[in-house]
Amino acid sequence: MNTYQERQFDALGDVTRRALVERLRRGPLPVGELAQGLPVSRPAVSQHLRILKEAKLVRDEASGTRRYYSLDPNGFAMLRKYLDNFWGEALEAFQAKVEEK
Amino acid sequence: MPERQLNPQNTMTMDVETHEIEPVRKSIRVRADAARAFRIFTEEMDSWWPRTHHIGNSPMKRVVVEGRPMGAIYTEQEDGTNCPWGSVLTWEPPHLFVMAWQIRPDWQYEPDLSKCSEVEVRFTPADDGTTLVELEHRGLTRHGVGCAKMREQVNSEGGWGALLGIFAGKVGGAA
Repeated sequence: MNTYQERQFDALGDVTRRALVERLRRGPLPVGELAQGLPVSRPAVSQHLRILKEAKLVRDEASGTRRYYSLDPNGFAMLRKYLDNFWGEALEAFQAKVEEK
Repeated sequence: MPERQLNPQNTMTMDVETHEIEPVRKSIRVRADAARAFRIFTEEMDSWWPRTHHIGNSPMKRVVVEGRPMGAIYTEQEDGTNCPWGSVLTWEPPHLFVMAWQIRPDWQYEPDLSKCSEVEVRFTPADDGTTLVELEHRGLTRHGVGCAKMREQVNSEGGWGALLGIFAGKVGGAA
């Protein structure tokens, strides 16, 4: 793994940050709604979001007076790379079988 | 045509997610007609599936694809257990096969289809008797927070973890 991925995994090694990512799976949210029901203060939530943002797992965007957080698709790069490689090899094995006489 | 519906309430999220991460796309041309290619890819998947790829706790014996809409996809393990890891979403031989990829990034079975990605495989015959096989693995962000567990898996010894590490190293140029 490279350091970029290391940082992503470190960012997710915290129960609050995992909860934030899980909430964002359903769509973008402003920080106030993200913080609702979590047993940590809103400044703490902002701090967690900053760490997630630095790890490129979460990104933010201003919309009017509010700032919306959403999952950063780049955070899934490792899963994607793994599957890309896997399917490349699997399809070659499939081709060999199909063309077997 | 009968298809298993993903949670309709997630439609908007699914659209956003589907468009936000590039699907994995692969294609390969095979010297066989579409019917043979489709059959071997699906019902005879066991004849080519990499033996290292399963999520059971013992070595896999064989992979089974139930050839029908909503058919189960699972491996039979040497310890006698069955290990589900997918479902047939679209079954249109010999041209189109779509399955749910019910494997979380931490290599556990994911029963909730709204948290699963999909693998679509199209078989397009050509005049010269060959068939173009196009694969698209999409909706990867639906796996969501499960990515968090990958670190442990990568660092664990043996099995899928080691394999993942090898793959990650190969493609990412990393340790």
